[in-house]
Amino acid sequence: MANEPIVRCIQVSKSFRRGSEEIRVLQALNLEVPEGQFLALMGPSGSGKTTLLNLIAGLDRPTSGTIQVGPDVVSAMSENELARWRTRHVGFVFQFYHLLSVLTAYENVELPLLLLPLSAARRREQVLTALELVGLLDRMHHRPGQLSGGQQQRVGIARAIVTNPTLIVADEPTGDLDARSAEEILNLLGELQASLNKTIIMVTHDPRAAARAQRILHLEKGQLVEDSGLAVAAGGAAAP
Amino acid sequence: MSGYPFYFLVTLGSVIGLAVLALVPFYVLLIAGDILMTRLGDVDPFSRSAKFIGLMFKNLRRNLLRTFLAYLAIFVLVLVVTGVWSILAFLDLVTAEKSRDLKAIVTERWQIPSQMPFAYAYPLSQGAPEKEGDIVIGPDDSMTWQFYGGYTERERDKQTRDNLVFFFAMEPRKVLTMMDGIDELTPEQLRQLAQAVEIMEKDKTAVVIGADRLATLNKRVGETITVYGLNYRGIDLEMKIIGELPKGRWGQIGIMNRDYLNDAIDAYPAKHRGERHPLADRSLNLVWLRVPDTETFKKVANQIMSSSAFTNPAVKCETAASGIGSWLDAYRDLIWGMRWLLSPAILVVMSLVVANAIGISVRERRGEMAILKVLGYQPRQIMLLILGEAVLIGALSGLLSATLCQVFVNELIGGVPFGIAFFPSFKIASAAWWWGLSIGSITALLGSIWPAWTAQRVRVAEVFAKVG
Ligand SMILES: Nc1ncnc2c1ncn2[C@@H]1O[C@H](COP(=O)(O)OP(=O)(O)OP(=O)(O)O)[C@@H](O)[C@H]1O
Ligand SMILES: [Mg+2]
Repeated sequence: MANEPIVRCIQVSKSFRRGSEEIRVLQALNLEVPEGQFLALMGPSGSGKTTLLNLIAGLDRPTSGTIQVGPDVVSAMSENELARWRTRHVGFVFQFYHLLSVLTAYENVELPLLLLPLSAARRREQVLTALELVGLLDRMHHRPGQLSGGQQQRVGIARAIVTNPTLIVADEPTGDLDARSAEEILNLLGELQASLNKTIIMVTHDPRAAARAQRILHLEKGQLVEDSGLAVAAGGAAAP
Repeated sequence: MSGYPFYFLVTLGSVIGLAVLALVPFYVLLIAGDILMTRLGDVDPFSRSAKFIGLMFKNLRRNLLRTFLAYLAIFVLVLVVTGVWSILAFLDLVTAEKSRDLKAIVTERWQIPSQMPFAYAYPLSQGAPEKEGDIVIGPDDSMTWQFYGGYTERERDKQTRDNLVFFFAMEPRKVLTMMDGIDELTPEQLRQLAQAVEIMEKDKTAVVIGADRLATLNKRVGETITVYGLNYRGIDLEMKIIGELPKGRWGQIGIMNRDYLNDAIDAYPAKHRGERHPLADRSLNLVWLRVPDTETFKKVANQIMSSSAFTNPAVKCETAASGIGSWLDAYRDLIWGMRWLLSPAILVVMSLVVANAIGISVRERRGEMAILKVLGYQPRQIMLLILGEAVLIGALSGLLSATLCQVFVNELIGGVPFGIAFFPSFKIASAAWWWGLSIGSITALLGSIWPAWTAQRVRVAEVFAKVG
């Protein structure tokens, strides 16, 4: 049960057109992530980490291949279906937090819930739970401008988990933070995995951040390569 | 002529002053809307829409300067449109032919102002019936007009606009049957007017004067005044003010018994070495006849125009509406331009102002649009957010502009002192608040369609490829 893959990429390719030139970013890539795993994606700049993350999270569609998250075939969905699916199943954490500056911490966390048919009371309960989890109940009426980078990122994490998604994706979540704040964020992500059994895919450049994950994959020339030192935890690694 | 630049500056000053003053209620409404939506956000059936609308209110306060500037522009433009449309609506109203109860106006044919011999009064009042079967207008359905104006000051150099008063000299009882606006009086005002008419019939020196004019003259009911003739030079009349006409439409005029004027014209030669007054044969200005329908009007007009009794000078008979209509003909191009060039141009400018303001705001917020998309907001919801913000500014400024303009012009200054036809001053239409609301919302909606379209097309992957 715990090792059942929740994310499955089969022969996924993605290329972009820039004028007449075709940039092949991902080439026949295979990946399986078991439920409850904390996975780190590393690789040089421009290697396609963000591209892969966006495909798994349903922000973009592959040029060819199949992507499955739980029972859903994400790569076959229309744009509107993807939007609805993302609300329920994916929580996003960004490098630059991307909170809405006119909304308070509370209102930012509430934003994805407004798309779900919940009562006002139930919504409030979920927002407060998420804020409590990231330890920001006392700051819930502050706007992003009144919070430190680390605090803003915690609001970002609360927003990502408030819908209780299947999957959390984080693109360099500590890239813009000082060492101490980064440490706090990594602790928080680790805790989400450990105590709530959340599946987390995190892109990072920082080896120390990657070391907090259970498994590290490197993206090189459009393919995934298992980190030699750590390729233990997951049985269903990439490829044959 | 020096009055016009003055009026223009006063108007411009008032508009800008009003607009700046109105920033306060506008800002208060922005905050109140936000608070209201936050409250409603806890009430279940509306809670999610309320939060969404709340986000619109918050976004409008993000860049206050830009929102205020867009608001001010719409405010001023709606004000202009409201003014222009009020004039147009008013003209439409006065020139619209009523098919029942038409008012026929008989005047001198070739000359303005119309001055006819008083001998015309009696036959014209009847509609000039000459043979068996001709239509005869009854006494309640006709009215003769003679104008007598003068100063309450004897000394020439003390005579000013403030001590000038104009009287309609008529048969007093006709006030109750023929005057325009009689149906707007309250029962009490009507009763007082009937009493005054009774006195005026017995005592030809008795007059009534509009409340506004009385105040300007600084006279009161009960006083006796001497009026020194302006158009009837040398005919000075001592009058008893026995009543006042209500403020508003009749506020500036006076009404007197026509016998008093005509007797004075007859008595003039005795005091002036046998010479008749220059206006003695030209003292009848117009005759009004009420006819039940267009058919009757045509017959009566034909009776009058074909009669040999009115040849020197000749007369014409037209409906009140067409009379005003022909007066307005001189301004036809101007009115056409206001209706078909100025108003549409202003609406287009308003849309562009909104398009510009919202367009800038959308460009600045591409990142936020992308985030909303990532969270699962549909393109149409993002479009709705942008359209909603625009319509909020448009609706609020349009509504405030038209309503304040209405209150300011109609209530505070009592109409623009710029007479059209028989109406002493011009007022903003009572539907103005509704015009403002719809003009503001619709132009804002049109202006924001393109920015909203670009906002919902933001491609998430591209935005983050750039940012990250
Ligand atoms: N929407 C797009 N259109 C065209 N090219 C794109 C697009 N998105 C990504 N690319 C290209 O695909 C390649 C991979 O980009 P991606 O952002 O996935 O790299 P990355 O590994 O996340 O890099 P970094 O570590 O700098 O964030 C790059 O060459 C990039 O220029
Ligand atoms: Mg990246």
